[in-house]
Amino acid sequence: MSSKNKSIQEKTIELTELVKWFDSSDFSLEAALDKFKQAEKLAAEIEQDLSSLKNEIQIVKQKFDSEN
Amino acid sequence: MEKSQIQPVFSVSDFIAVVNQTFEYAYPTVEVEGEVASFKVNQGKFVFFDIKDHGGSIGCFMTVWQMRVPIEDGMKIIVSATPKLTQWGKFSLTVKSLRPSGEGALKKSFELLKTKLEAEGLFALERKRQLPQIPQHIAIISSTQAAGYADFIKILNDHWGGIKIDVAHVQVQGTDAPDQMIRAINYFNQQESLPEVIVIIRGGGSADDLSTFNDEPLVRVIASSRIPTLVGVGHETDESLADLVADVRAATPSNAAQILVPDKVEKIRAIRIQVSSLLPRMLQIIDQQKQVINSNLSDALETVERCIDEQIRRISSFKNVLAQLDPNTVLARGYALIRGVSKVGATIEIETNKVIMGAEVKNVVKK
Repeated sequence: MSSKNKSIQEKTIELTELVKWFDSSDFSLEAALDKFKQAEKLAAEIEQDLSSLKNEIQIVKQKFDSEN
Repeated sequence: MEKSQIQPVFSVSDFIAVVNQTFEYAYPTVEVEGEVASFKVNQGKFVFFDIKDHGGSIGCFMTVWQMRVPIEDGMKIIVSATPKLTQWGKFSLTVKSLRPSGEGALKKSFELLKTKLEAEGLFALERKRQLPQIPQHIAIISSTQAAGYADFIKILNDHWGGIKIDVAHVQVQGTDAPDQMIRAINYFNQQESLPEVIVIIRGGGSADDLSTFNDEPLVRVIASSRIPTLVGVGHETDESLADLVADVRAATPSNAAQILVPDKVEKIRAIRIQVSSLLPRMLQIIDQQKQVINSNLSDALETVERCIDEQIRRISSFKNVLAQLDPNTVLARGYALIRGVSKVGATIEIETNKVIMGAEVKNVVKK
């Protein structure tokens, strides 16, 4: 899944995993800078998504005043 | 004999039919307020009671399925009914619907139904489902003209984006409201793409307005919804049976929006803190690793020094042993070194610490 198609929630989970990596036993200084750059990029995307995404409100056409 | 003016002569059945026709024309539906007396249910299907005031009493009939709120003797109610003359000539009201009248009756009805549904376990905590953490598709059941709906949408839009929201516009008060909400709940539960949560909202109102949310069939449909439910009705102090049966209860419509989604401002702040903490964390790890390396280096140096000392000590010890074995050391202690053959008459050389002497062997004896 490309980063563009991911939901805010998926990106948030990914960011949390990245942050966790820094405290995990997998941490290595060689990979840390790349991971840090990824985290920064994800955070910027999430912020952008949160600021720009609008809710899509649709009134259901079905009438509920009688059995249909 | 002169014939009098012709008066129709009815059979009894026809007369009853004509009276009922007249009632139907004059009072297709009539609302009557009074106090319940002699309430009874026959065969679990048919409900009979009288409705009375200080000046009179009328018998009422209805089926249990039409009785959406529980009643008992002494409760003040309003019936919506059709007047009818029975085939036995008894006047009665065929009740289509009824509702408690006045605060006392509303409260009594609420308590009766609450006790009944509680006994069935409809409010049990084990039945409560969690709402999705951040839903992407929700359904709202409310009146789009209601202030509560506007509050909910405003908070939701302020807090989060990217949510698909389907809104069922229904009445949220009045006699038709419960059925409309029931149809809306059923509608969403039958969709191919199910919303992740159904939100039922309405702003504040009188006890009578909010009694819509104490309707037994509505409460049961909320309980049986396969989509998790969030109900935010009235103000914080209002309590309805719909609140109690919902998976999650919100104090107000605005509170429902706050429960449903996080605040993006808070979220952005948390994310910034999360990421900005990584750089110091990396520096801290680099420092820690430096310390580990320095400590290892220091340990290695100590080990090398210790090894060298050990070697020096061993060499020194060897030197001591070697010194003891030096013939000059032995001679210095008073011993002599003899060179030559141990044979009588042979000439031998005797070396002491200070001189070397020549001598002849006089005698050889085995030890």
